[in-house]
Amino acid sequence: MKISDADYQFSVTATPDLEDDTADIHYVPAPCQVACPIGTDAPSYIAYIWEGKNEEALEAITATNPFSAICGRVCDAPCEPACRRADSDGAIAIRNLKRYVLDSLGPGFALPPVAVTREQTVGIVGAGPAGLTAAHDLAEAGYEVHVYEATDKLGGMMFWGIPRFRLPEEAVQQDIDRMTAHCPGIKIHTNTALGDQVSLDQLKQQHAAVLLAIGAFVGKPMGIPGESEPFVRDGVGFLYHVNAGARPTLPETVLVIGGGDVAMDACRVARRLPGVKHVKVIYRRDYEAMPARREELQGAIDEGIEIVYNTQPVEVIDGKALRCVSTEMGEPDEDGRRRPINVAGSEHDIECGLVIAAVGQKAECEELVEHDLMDWDRVKTRLEGMVTEDAKVFAAGDGAFGGSTIVEAMYQGHRAAYYMKAYLEGNESPLPYRTPYRTRRVPICNDPAWEINPRVHQKFHGLGEIPIEFPEIESTYTADEAKFEAARCFRCDAETGSADYTVTSREAIFAMSRINPQDAEIESSILQGRLENRENPFGIEHVATLDDLVFLPANLSRLVIDPYREDCKTATELGAINSLKLDIPFLVAGMDLAPDEIRSAYAAAIAAHGAAYIGASRIGDNASWIQIAGKAADADADAVVFRAAQAIPFALEQEIDFLVLDAGDGLPGIEGELAGAPDISILNHAVSQLRALNREEDIDLVYFGGLRTGTDSAKILALGATAVIIGVAAALSLGADISSGSPLYDADLDAEDRAERSYNLLQAFNAEAAMMARCTGKTNVHNLEPEDLRAITLTVSHAAGVPMAGSLNRH
Amino acid sequence: MVTIDLSHTSITDANQQIRDWARDGQDVEIINPDARHNIGVGLVDPITVRIKGSAGYFCGGLSDGAHYEIEHNAGWAVGDNIYQGSVVVGGNAGAIAGVAIRGAEIVVRGNMGSRAGQVMKAGTLCCGGNAAFMAGYMMYGGRIIILGDAAEKVGQDMSAGEIFVGGKIKSLGNDTMIVDMEAHERDEIMEFLERYKLNYSGDFTKVINAGKKLRYANAEPRSRPQPFFVSSKSSNYWNPKVQEDIWIKGEVGRYRIRGYGASKPVPHLNDIAFARDVTTDAARPEELKDINLKTTVGGRFGAKPLSLSMPVMIAPMSFGALSRSVKIALARASRLSGISENTGEGGMLDEQRAEADQLIFQCLSGRLGWNVKDMQRADAIEIYISQGAKPGLGGQLMAKKVTPELAAIRGIPVGIDLRSPSRHPDVLGADDLVIKLQEFREATFHKVPIGIKMGAGRVNDDIKIAYKDGFDFVELDGLQGSTGAASTEVLENVGIPTLSGVQEAIDGLAEIDAGDDMDLVMMGGIKDGVDVVKMLALGASCTSVGTAAIIAGGCIACMQCHVGTCPVGIATQDPEHEARYDIDRQSMNMHRYFESLRWQIAAITKALGYDDVHKVNRGDLVALTPEAADITGLPFRPEHRDTRRPLTGLELLDRQAG
Repeated sequence: MKISDADYQFSVTATPDLEDDTADIHYVPAPCQVACPIGTDAPSYIAYIWEGKNEEALEAITATNPFSAICGRVCDAPCEPACRRADSDGAIAIRNLKRYVLDSLGPGFALPPVAVTREQTVGIVGAGPAGLTAAHDLAEAGYEVHVYEATDKLGGMMFWGIPRFRLPEEAVQQDIDRMTAHCPGIKIHTNTALGDQVSLDQLKQQHAAVLLAIGAFVGKPMGIPGESEPFVRDGVGFLYHVNAGARPTLPETVLVIGGGDVAMDACRVARRLPGVKHVKVIYRRDYEAMPARREELQGAIDEGIEIVYNTQPVEVIDGKALRCVSTEMGEPDEDGRRRPINVAGSEHDIECGLVIAAVGQKAECEELVEHDLMDWDRVKTRLEGMVTEDAKVFAAGDGAFGGSTIVEAMYQGHRAAYYMKAYLEGNESPLPYRTPYRTRRVPICNDPAWEINPRVHQKFHGLGEIPIEFPEIESTYTADEAKFEAARCFRCDAETGSADYTVTSREAIFAMSRINPQDAEIESSILQGRLENRENPFGIEHVATLDDLVFLPANLSRLVIDPYREDCKTATELGAINSLKLDIPFLVAGMDLAPDEIRSAYAAAIAAHGAAYIGASRIGDNASWIQIAGKAADADADAVVFRAAQAIPFALEQEIDFLVLDAGDGLPGIEGELAGAPDISILNHAVSQLRALNREEDIDLVYFGGLRTGTDSAKILALGATAVIIGVAAALSLGADISSGSPLYDADLDAEDRAERSYNLLQAFNAEAAMMARCTGKTNVHNLEPEDLRAITLTVSHAAGVPMAGSLNRH
Repeated sequence: MVTIDLSHTSITDANQQIRDWARDGQDVEIINPDARHNIGVGLVDPITVRIKGSAGYFCGGLSDGAHYEIEHNAGWAVGDNIYQGSVVVGGNAGAIAGVAIRGAEIVVRGNMGSRAGQVMKAGTLCCGGNAAFMAGYMMYGGRIIILGDAAEKVGQDMSAGEIFVGGKIKSLGNDTMIVDMEAHERDEIMEFLERYKLNYSGDFTKVINAGKKLRYANAEPRSRPQPFFVSSKSSNYWNPKVQEDIWIKGEVGRYRIRGYGASKPVPHLNDIAFARDVTTDAARPEELKDINLKTTVGGRFGAKPLSLSMPVMIAPMSFGALSRSVKIALARASRLSGISENTGEGGMLDEQRAEADQLIFQCLSGRLGWNVKDMQRADAIEIYISQGAKPGLGGQLMAKKVTPELAAIRGIPVGIDLRSPSRHPDVLGADDLVIKLQEFREATFHKVPIGIKMGAGRVNDDIKIAYKDGFDFVELDGLQGSTGAASTEVLENVGIPTLSGVQEAIDGLAEIDAGDDMDLVMMGGIKDGVDVVKMLALGASCTSVGTAAIIAGGCIACMQCHVGTCPVGIATQDPEHEARYDIDRQSMNMHRYFESLRWQIAAITKALGYDDVHKVNRGDLVALTPEAADITGLPFRPEHRDTRRPLTGLELLDRQAG
């Protein structure tokens, strides 16, 4: 039995002790992650590879996968067909990227050891992927685990069933070594077969629980007349023999029967052995129905193997040929695959010297038959608890559920370990197991070529120069290739850049577009999700910022200006009495203590744009300077600012020209501005106060604090300022690092870069402010007025004194 | 030759008679024209119409193949958008003569008004006298010949084409230059003048585009969007997204561009809940077939309304922003689900027309791909004033997407950063719009609904104008509406949220007792059946989905539509990238999405206790946040918030798995 998809479903409730991130509303597991039976966090490790963080990638890979080096080469990689990019220009090479990480870090890399902390011990029979994965999980949980292996090697089918040209022994050894170094509590007993060297009763006596992961090592017969050795051999037996080191000389023509991965491996092994000239694979269904992974199939074809489809063996003619009939595809079976139907009168003989039957495997164990734990060719096991009819004895892997893939066997190992832990802890009704989904929240890579890069194919070597030595068929990526490939990931797991089309919304729309519309149950479950309301994005912690103000565009009631082409005036006069004339309504601040290179770059930009600098000292000869005076004003300054409490009455009384509103809290420095969102209500208060005194025209307002764009600036102009001061934004334009709370300038820029960047920032801000004015139908930024704005939150509506969008006429 | 007397024939009847005669190949003489507007509009047969007097606005407009001779003067926009054919004006012509022509010959023997030949694409506009300011304003191609003087700003912001001026040029426009004329050009001009019996033997000054503003100077560095910030808490004010934004502006010296709509959180439909718990009832809807969802749009003045199987349309999206394959898939999905598709800016594709049962044809200011034949095969017409993503701005299509095929359908040069004008050449106010609307009605024989598309701004005022101007329907788009390319500043900061938009529209119409005869189609952030039903309950008659349909059809929401190398073949004109798009599969995905929408709309309607979705009303809604309550005036009932947290990713998956 293959475990059906339905068995992989999970409950909504998280299981205990499960490291899992699915409660995070900004995270939906990506399709590749969901397709992986063990929930590998592929998007994170791919993103780490792009960042060059291979060790972090390794952590993400190995978190749920103790056989990462093996899987990097031979996993059947259900993640790749699930990849959303598979539909466009090819899936991300998720498997080979894994191999790249494991290969580049090498076998020396190990995770820290986990000590044994529990008294109870566990016995595990079989050292294949299911048994060792369970051993790994139980050892990580602190149990001492004894693994009993019939052969002299660890790895089960991974060692004995997969030929070395696909999976070299070193890769298997690397994973085993990493696991045993990480889990010293795992005690290995090789050459210890159940029933021969050790009995089940002994195990039950020695251990608190036993796991049977005995595998399925016996090839099934084809069930047709004439089937006998040595002319007919079984596939797994053949592979075992070769993996033990044998290199037999075979007849000229070899037939391999079957369409699965064992058939693929067997035919490719035969192709490499001495004496063989032709290898044909005989398969009773068509190409579409063939279960082998497409890459393996293609590899076989590329190596010169002939695939004969729609052909059913009916009789072995010993020593000579295989009698077959042709088939055609009939109606789907109960397993959903179309049944092959023999075509009458199509008998034909295919001559050959050897037939390798790779038509399935089964488990065999006399000891377990005696304990009545076998059900024909497998261990009687309930999937729900992974338990046999003996409550102390659990089972997993091919021996329990029939032939499957390595990653499915690992899933079963995890699952068995989960239920065994519950049993050992006395928890009789644990929550159902489900695959955990984690994310490392790695930022999306910012590779400009992510949309265009095509899939990078691994170099395929095929048979190699000396086929009988079984050299590896393909090599992994170079670091550059890996980065190139990693850039291609869509990052389906990551939150989008849109608060409206969030990852959750996007996935809901995807779901709606991929279900059967007649299926009321699924429709209904999706609708339940859509009916749930989001958290209030403007809850009590919300701070009023300029983001919550919007401009009203011109439409019918006001004529549109052509913002791409029509001019918009930005000339600015500061001061009702002694006017300071500027070309743009921008002042720059915060560079009094900046290095000379920074100051001179901005001095030139300020002069070029006709802006001004405001600070304690002059920034440069040609730039207008507004002095923030301590005690005495500098005769040289173009204007002077004094500090004052009760500023407005004082300023009016003194016939001051303009008033600087310091919402950034700390001019001439910008550390205060860096501290967080400015209090924009300062402007509203000043305007209201002036309006109450009917003196709005008598003084100009200059605003400082938290301006990040030309749009922010335009909003401030609309609210009543005549000019604005930019501080942090100017520093950021020169690559300042602000993480320490004060700007640290980027030393890598040269003078030309800095000059250009300073110039560009003022240009962009001014152009953005002008664009906002034109969108509202104005041709002068100073014609912007509060009426051009609406608030979208109540906090900002109160702070800025601007009505809410939508409700004006009702209030 | 037959004669029609306009002194006792309405313009609509006269145009009908002209068409009837034209089908028989009969030339027509119009007497007593009395400068009436829209004479001869919509004619597609090659006859000659002689106007014995003066004509008003749009004479000969929206025609193809016919010839018009106007004895005296012509008003505003003579020869509007003519493909083939000619207009000869014996006297003077008003402003924007030859606007948006695509191959016609327009001859004005006297003087012509300002902005002559605005957004023309091909053909010849010739003036025997003087031309007022901005001749050739924003022209994309063709030839203007001015035998007399030209006033200020000749060729202002032209992208291509040539202007030949015989007399003096007062000043040149932006981005233009004077070049030498080639010998064959003079020969061709003289041949033309001779054909129209215009005597001229002097020299010409040739003005063309100088090519300095056709492309943005510095390319914006490519970057993928950073996740939005949940709330502007003070601690993340100078967050990495802000830092990146400033850094890039330091590099390029201008605003940034991207696709999609506003990315910041704004009050929206999910801050509103149904007044009663529909979750339980919606979970087991027994029979949904009997719930009426049928919706008609545009029947206000007797045109044949759009007949939709549910209150949903596909939003206007252009061939240009989107690939041809996606437009075909959308059209097919619209047919399969019984709803309407919309051309957006940039013309109608034959395949799109064939696939869609009901197709809305959109008219934009640049008149790109706009023509009478497609108007006459459309099921509705929509005049675009603005859109939610970038109200106040014209369309933007970056050069990477302006391929030869696309340029041909739009009538523009290949490979320019196309910035469409933001206002219509022939609509400078509400009064012009009435005449423009009338021109469209004449060109479509009063049989096709005509709507207006607006981004939400001063909705309360704008909606009243739309109503009084006589539109059949309004498509109103909120701040969250998406686009293929726009300035991020405008995307985030210009326009009001969809929720505010619908409320102002309903309030505005109520203030003038408009009733509900002008259909209100709401769009901008409609994602599912829940949103649709809430919108209808707030008072909309229909909704329109764009982004959600595109996501259903494979968009991954990376917001990089403007770049032109869409990884899934949607927002691209690159054949290699478009090849990634599987029309058959994705049209079925969209179809399934629409069917899910239908199911959801019906299930909620039933759960609310109605048999017709048009019976839902404000009483069915409550507001969950103070903002939503303030905007809509709905009762503030925070306790109606589902006490469960929003769906987690896992729960979502679980639900998908059933």
